[in-house]
Amino acid sequence: MQEQMKTLEYDVLVVGAGIAGGESALNLANIGYKVLMVEKEPSIGGKMILLSKVFPTLDCAACITTPKVSEIARHPNITVFTDTETEKINKKGEHQFEAVILRKPRYVDVDACTGCQLCEEACPVSVTDEFQFGLVGRKAAYIPFSIASPRAAVIDIENCILCGACERACPPDCIDFTQTEEKFLVKIKSVVVATGFDLFDPLKIPRYGYGKFKNVITSMQMERELAPTRPFNTVLRPGDGKMPDNLAYVLCTGSRDKSVGNPICSQICCMYSIKQAQLLLGALPMADVTIYYLHIRAFGKGFNEFYAQAQDMGVTFIKGKVGTITEKENGNLILRYEDIEAGVVKEAEHDMVVLSVGVLPHQGISEKFENQKLKLDPFHFIDQSDILASPAKTSIEGVFVAGTASGPMDIPDSILSGGSASAQTTSYLRKEEL
Amino acid sequence: MEVEKGKTAKYLKEKQGIPPQATEQLKQFTKTKKALLNALKEGDKTVPQLADKLNMPGDAVMFQLMSLLKYGFVETGEIDDMDEYFYYKIKSNGKNKS
Repeated sequence: MQEQMKTLEYDVLVVGAGIAGGESALNLANIGYKVLMVEKEPSIGGKMILLSKVFPTLDCAACITTPKVSEIARHPNITVFTDTETEKINKKGEHQFEAVILRKPRYVDVDACTGCQLCEEACPVSVTDEFQFGLVGRKAAYIPFSIASPRAAVIDIENCILCGACERACPPDCIDFTQTEEKFLVKIKSVVVATGFDLFDPLKIPRYGYGKFKNVITSMQMERELAPTRPFNTVLRPGDGKMPDNLAYVLCTGSRDKSVGNPICSQICCMYSIKQAQLLLGALPMADVTIYYLHIRAFGKGFNEFYAQAQDMGVTFIKGKVGTITEKENGNLILRYEDIEAGVVKEAEHDMVVLSVGVLPHQGISEKFENQKLKLDPFHFIDQSDILASPAKTSIEGVFVAGTASGPMDIPDSILSGGSASAQTTSYLRKEEL
Repeated sequence: MEVEKGKTAKYLKEKQGIPPQATEQLKQFTKTKKALLNALKEGDKTVPQLADKLNMPGDAVMFQLMSLLKYGFVETGEIDDMDEYFYYKIKSNGKNKS
């Protein structure tokens, strides 16, 4: 039964539909290559589509992502498979790869779904919304988020009580619980790996109290609180709904920290924290924002000016390493830190703490390559075999890497890296045609 | 086997049953939802006031209340005199969904 696989043929397989994978796919599709994009989530757009604004321009992240995402979705040369994982990839010869992909059932006919959300309204179940990073609930029949692509419902089968209310409410009858998983054999000439990154889980640093102290949140949760499609009516403490007026950022949470196994800099946390601080001063004009940092790394174009702008706006920067966080009865938090410049240990009280969590490799893709080894670097990102001359090249000829799959980088660099991967893929494909 | 369109949930229910944790989760949500909505029917309240009244942790009230806000049962009212906590109230746009 399981082995009845449909065979598909494309020029390039792009694994991961975030901003880097998307950029690669678009460039390749625009010059005529047929591209298959596989994405494990129910929507394309990766992490960027969930952000509020981007640094250092403070442009709306959705306004940059959505036109790209809709171009990908409507491109005649791109086929997108969401809810799909890559099971294995084999190199059969030069310009000959075979991949097996597994598409999980969504229980919704995506082409027929109009995104009306009547199923969502009818569904009686409420579970944690992963796209709001646990700050609020969602239904078991749901549209992942308002700018999701495809903007179609998904049934969370693990939490569904199979009451059928969504089916009865659905005007085009697009809900289908008879769907099952499908396996495909994909024949391609080249592969672009754009599997992105994972965020550091601050539960691994118990002394910061994340999970236990409800007013300690991650930077991604704050990103959601600041987004137009935010979970609360404004920026509020998740512990008791208070509007905070004295917030702290703890930089390098899970980065540059050997004790948690990640000794490298995540490259984005300084700047996204400075961005969030500026946005917070806009959202909460009476609030104080303090950033505890080791070094501010503002290396990109316009970054240092952006940092200076935050200082001018009144953000306080303290060169200090936070040791522990404790909670007072009113939900406020005491940060015990080393003031590096003064050389003393101090304590400060804040009513909300944001942990600026770092970038970790999204592991697993290298094991999918069966007959050739996709080499990883010492930090488990994909190794760039010729980092200076051909940054997208990997240890397998014909397999290229795009974006944060190769290491921490910001959005402009991810898009550049996606561009580089598409150029090198084109060059590889053209070699066959010559 | 051809399954009638619009009745496929029944087919899957007969085939694999309902996950027990899903039923339990629904029971909990319905119970909390009822308690929160009943408390708000008596008058607008802040999160700490609801937590006190229902003897629930503040973060659990916040999570469920914000979910009810998203689902359209509740809306945000005025902020308190100290500019700290918002009052929340039953959404007054006519239909009381349940």
